[in-house]
Amino acid sequence: MIGLDVGSTAAKIVWIENGDIKYRITSTHNWKELVTGIDGDNIVSTGYFRNIVPHRASLTELTAAIYGARHYFPDAEVIVDIGGQDTKVVDVRNNNFVINDKCSAGTGAFLEFVANYFRIELHELGSMHAMAGRIPDINNTCGVFALSEMISQLVGGYSKEEVIAGMHYAFARRISYMIPEAQSIVLIGGTVKNEGLVTALKDVLKKEVLIPDEPQIINALGVLKYYS
Amino acid sequence: MQNHKFILNIRMPVKKIGITALVPPELIFACDASPFDVNNVIPSSRKYPGNKLCAWTAIWKEMLVKRDINVDSLIVVAGGDCHNALVDGQKAAMSGIPTHFFFYPFDGDSGYMESQLHRLSEFLGGIKCPEKFKEIRELKKQGQIIDKKRCCGKLSSGEVFRILISFSDLAGDLTGFSRIISSLEETDIDLRNRIALIGVPPIYHDFHEVAHSLGLHIVFDELPYEFIRHGGTTIQEMAYDYCGYTFARPLEFRIDFLKKELKKRKVDGVIHYTQFACHHVLEDEIMREKLDYPMLTIQGDLPGNTPQQIKLRLEAFREVLDRL
Ligand code: SF4
Repeated sequence: MIGLDVGSTAAKIVWIENGDIKYRITSTHNWKELVTGIDGDNIVSTGYFRNIVPHRASLTELTAAIYGARHYFPDAEVIVDIGGQDTKVVDVRNNNFVINDKCSAGTGAFLEFVANYFRIELHELGSMHAMAGRIPDINNTCGVFALSEMISQLVGGYSKEEVIAGMHYAFARRISYMIPEAQSIVLIGGTVKNEGLVTALKDVLKKEVLIPDEPQIINALGVLKYYS
Repeated sequence: MQNHKFILNIRMPVKKIGITALVPPELIFACDASPFDVNNVIPSSRKYPGNKLCAWTAIWKEMLVKRDINVDSLIVVAGGDCHNALVDGQKAAMSGIPTHFFFYPFDGDSGYMESQLHRLSEFLGGIKCPEKFKEIRELKKQGQIIDKKRCCGKLSSGEVFRILISFSDLAGDLTGFSRIISSLEETDIDLRNRIALIGVPPIYHDFHEVAHSLGLHIVFDELPYEFIRHGGTTIQEMAYDYCGYTFARPLEFRIDFLKKELKKRKVDGVIHYTQFACHHVLEDEIMREKLDYPMLTIQGDLPGNTPQQIKLRLEAFREVLDRL
């Protein structure tokens, strides 16, 4: 059996081979490549497109995140899944969850928007953050206005790297309002591969931040574990 | 002569009275008028108003001002219910619709309520058909029966919701409404996750069906239940009874009532529907603190089908309940 997570920007499959977790990741529009030759009866799915792709059973990302995160952190209390189009916070202790899907400012889409503006690759945002000497304040909580604020900071003399670091802090503050009190939080989703954002989140949240080795496959792993 | 006889036989058309929230429909019918709840057309209206806070009031205001809804006069429930309605109601009034503002007492003072009902009766031209009181009392008894049947899985949640919500104006036609109630067909539903839907009603026309298809069975609709719970056959009786309209009273009063209903109906979880830009949104944290049930809060804005984002939350909530 394989766990398939087809989200808004990436598709992932996970399977277990001799006790080891194996996976493949591709962009959403290529999801079919991941399941070529695999019978739908052997697929359990999650993610935004969970009910459209072939599957034997499906599960929402919110529940899959719990089962996937627990594989690495059995005592996970709060899980923050920063996805391409939304950010989800699951409070495992209280069976509660919140989703921000109304505004792009706290989602991967915003980072992509910023990377496009600076004509850099998404993965470069993290390394640029590391080069920042100062961190300008970016206060706007709306993605579009945050970008104009970033441009003003550039004009005002901050470097590209510094402005990107400031943007990561603005992003982290925005997400922090969704996160309940807890000893530690587990971060998952492709966006948390951005070290700059993680640094900002650690600084803003002032909590222990736990990140699995491959944070992007947690939901695919979770749906697999749920049905295994 | 012939003509004269014809004129004598003609009955004045019944006045159509727009209402913006719960206004004792007994009194409107007894004053020989027909209530029309302006909210009931909104979920399937597909209207997207220009200048808005809450879409409910913005849409009915726009429809009234543009005369897409035609009423002879309007009763705006203001005090103790909704300030957006108070402002949008005044805009409708300024467009030339004779409007009366109706106030519930926050403290449950039945003397005050009685004076409000007398003023309303005067606005409507006085009681002319007192027999309507009893007729409506009988219909509300039927409402209670169908509500109970739904709670034991004998009637579908969506059908019962649509009838309960229509009790605000009884579809403006007591005979037709009675026929609709009796046409309900019993079924047998396996109520796996018994859900109480609290707050204002969802602005999506298919919400109950969507929830049902995702394994969440609504056995309690907070606001529509208020529509069948209150009544009376005289102004005094109504004054005493409608004082208990929970949405107009302090939160503790409403929460005490909710606790009893939720227990009685053995609910497994609560969905708190909130409307964008509605003051009831602020009540969410209190509801979460005081009601000891798994709770999902959702927020709607514009009317139409239940959106995908809400469906995801409902499905995830079902999974939460399955895990417990
Ligand atoms: S949803 Fe809230 S703001 Fe809108 S009409 Fe109802 S009470 Fe008023």
